Amino acid sequence: MKFRNFKKLAAAAVGAAVLAAGAAVSAAGTMTIGVTSFADTLEPTEQYFSWVISRYGVGQGLTKFDENGNMVPCLATEWSNSEDGKTWTFTIREGVKFSNGNDMTPELVKASLERTFEMSNRVPEFFDIASVEVDGQNLVFNLNRANANMAGCLADPLFLIMDTSIDNSNIAMAGPVCTGPYAFQSFDPAGDTVIVRNEYYWDGEVPNDSVTLRIIGDQTTRSMALQSGEIDVAYNLKTENVFEFDGNDAYTIQSLESLRSTYAFMNQNGALGDLALRQALLRGLDKETYTSILLEGGATPGKAPVPPTLDYGYDELNDENSYDPEGAKQVLADAGYVDNDGDGYVETPDGQSLELVFVYYDSRAELGVYAQAAQASLKEIGINIKLDCVSYETLLDRRDSGQYDLLIWNVLVANTGDPENYLRENWYSTSANNTAGYANADVDAWLDELAATMDTDARKELIVKIQQAIMDDAATVFFGYENTFLISKSSVEGLVMYPMDYYWVTSDMKMAE
Amino acid sequence: MNKKNFFLEHKQFTIFFILALVIVGIAVFAPWIAPKDPLEAVMTDSLKAPCAEYPLGADKLGRDLLSRVIYGTRTSLVYTLILVATIFVVGTVLGIIAGYFGGWIDQIIMRIADMMISFPGMILAIAIAGMLGASLRNGVIAITAVSWTKYARLARSMVLKVKRNLYVEAAVVNGTSTAKILWRHILPNMLTTMTVTAAADMGTMMLELASLSFLGFGAVAPTPEWGLMLNEGRTYMAKAPWLMIAPGIAIVIVVIVFNMLGDSVRDILDPRQEN
Repeated sequence: MKFRNFKKLAAAAVGAAVLAAGAAVSAAGTMTIGVTSFADTLEPTEQYFSWVISRYGVGQGLTKFDENGNMVPCLATEWSNSEDGKTWTFTIREGVKFSNGNDMTPELVKASLERTFEMSNRVPEFFDIASVEVDGQNLVFNLNRANANMAGCLADPLFLIMDTSIDNSNIAMAGPVCTGPYAFQSFDPAGDTVIVRNEYYWDGEVPNDSVTLRIIGDQTTRSMALQSGEIDVAYNLKTENVFEFDGNDAYTIQSLESLRSTYAFMNQNGALGDLALRQALLRGLDKETYTSILLEGGATPGKAPVPPTLDYGYDELNDENSYDPEGAKQVLADAGYVDNDGDGYVETPDGQSLELVFVYYDSRAELGVYAQAAQASLKEIGINIKLDCVSYETLLDRRDSGQYDLLIWNVLVANTGDPENYLRENWYSTSANNTAGYANADVDAWLDELAATMDTDARKELIVKIQQAIMDDAATVFFGYENTFLISKSSVEGLVMYPMDYYWVTSDMKMAE
Repeated sequence: MNKKNFFLEHKQFTIFFILALVIVGIAVFAPWIAPKDPLEAVMTDSLKAPCAEYPLGADKLGRDLLSRVIYGTRTSLVYTLILVATIFVVGTVLGIIAGYFGGWIDQIIMRIADMMISFPGMILAIAIAGMLGASLRNGVIAITAVSWTKYARLARSMVLKVKRNLYVEAAVVNGTSTAKILWRHILPNMLTTMTVTAAADMGTMMLELASLSFLGFGAVAPTPEWGLMLNEGRTYMAKAPWLMIAPGIAIVIVVIVFNMLGDSVRDILDPRQEN
């Protein structure tokens, strides 16, 4: 009972903060959105920074996915492919202007895409371009390797269309000039980014004069900013925040069983190169408890690369490394991992002390929960985990330089409409993202086969096989598939959650009159 | 007889000295006092409110908060002592060297000191700790790097004062070695003031260490450390306020006790306070 009072006290404190922060009421035609961001710069070809440009309603691609995840036209009106999947023809929409008033011609679309092909090291995992030709209003892509899902690939924000005819030397801070409902006015990688209406927008009226995207990396602070009225919308809140808004008419809570997978790479260039250790580690993790109790049902426990929300044989996949702490200890003992010095942690078979560095980042609170829970669980079976909490930018550096044993992150599984690109980026032996040193010749061959396979059933079969192989190799820890929440003031209209979560700001989003 | 008088004479000192002893006792005997293992996670008891089994509640991973707070005394006290000792030694030695030898050594040491205090201390500490990577040891290094200047300046000014005394000059004329002069004639004359400063700094240093941990630059999970526990509890503030209340109160109590103890020590030892 005493502690109920404490609860009230805390609530009162928050209430006082609301009053104090006071009357930050949005003026008509503007909005403020609390976001997390990972973009140091607005150069779309660097890392995943193009996602931010797309999320902020600035960048658009030739195709896009609607709120049900179906592919629909965007800057291209229609497309077709040749029998062999090696020639794709896209008809570029007429009458579209960039936000500086320049016409978006097929030549400029070509130039923009070629800039991306040249500057991004992620392109080879999407497709292998031989040449791009302009044919009237059409753009023709000739591919070296057949690709059944070229149109879906081009919906990824990496392939957003920007005006390359202007001076882009200051693009990192000024941002690209694109075709979306908004254009960049100012950018601050750690503070407020302001976007203003694109006067030349091709698809209807844009309701807001400007929108401020305020980076509030800390989840609790973001939730409190929404309660105080400082922001109108808060992205990326979690179950523990929902508790603060539930049953309050002033706020709208949307949720989606997302297509995001939270998983940790296991770096096979280090101690985790030993299959037995990886198997033991996987068997030591009680993902069911993590997701149902620690995350309070905010996620579904994971086992495979692709979540059950997508139909790629989740139920028929066999996880031989499910939670089994006794089995884990047995595997360790059989492989020669024994605790000789009595510190409670096992040493490697050759007598070295074993400490695995688990890198996670701070802007997604659930990653810290997983990491700490994993540390506690693995202590039980004698594996010593050292946690290392860094910023997202540092995490990417650590991944690229391979400085980790375990590295957790959270990604969208179907960024191109199906999991092909996701699987290829992370588990193809030569992919730039695959710094964990995972290599399975079968998986590589199946991924190549998948790229050239048009038939839906055959594709599904291949994806199931690939997933099973990755699981059998104990390559990666699949922690869970999280639900995402979007909480906003009830006065915000037209706010939609997209399963492909690279669309945030749209031309429908506005404050009620 | 004498001792009894001393304690009776300085009641404030006696009270806080006893309280400090209690805190040290909790730290030393943590394994016997704590009801549970502070690292043992019973995840099904996640965020349990205070009850018979968990007197102060359980944290996110279902670890007993009371045990964690008790073990936290260990972490905080040990590292604060190390921190204060390091600053004391580094600052005093550098100050004595600068003050006694003067010239270019003095210039170099004191200009570095000037540079360090021209930045806001805590922010510089965060920067240093951020570069070194999060750990309590690096936290101690970071805070030492920004706090030694105070001791160096104090020590230097005292050396300059003591150095002019006739007995020092006499020792020099007698051919006493420099090391012996510093050890026998200079150090004892400044030790009281330095000690008083160090004692009074205990509370502040404890807070700075906790702040670094709170910000994620000090203790690393799963270490039971109060600043880190506060940070972990922050996410669940509305839902499970006990996560912040327990370590918060622990910090307040311990810091107050050490601040008051430092004050009392100063009252007793500071020569300026004597008639």
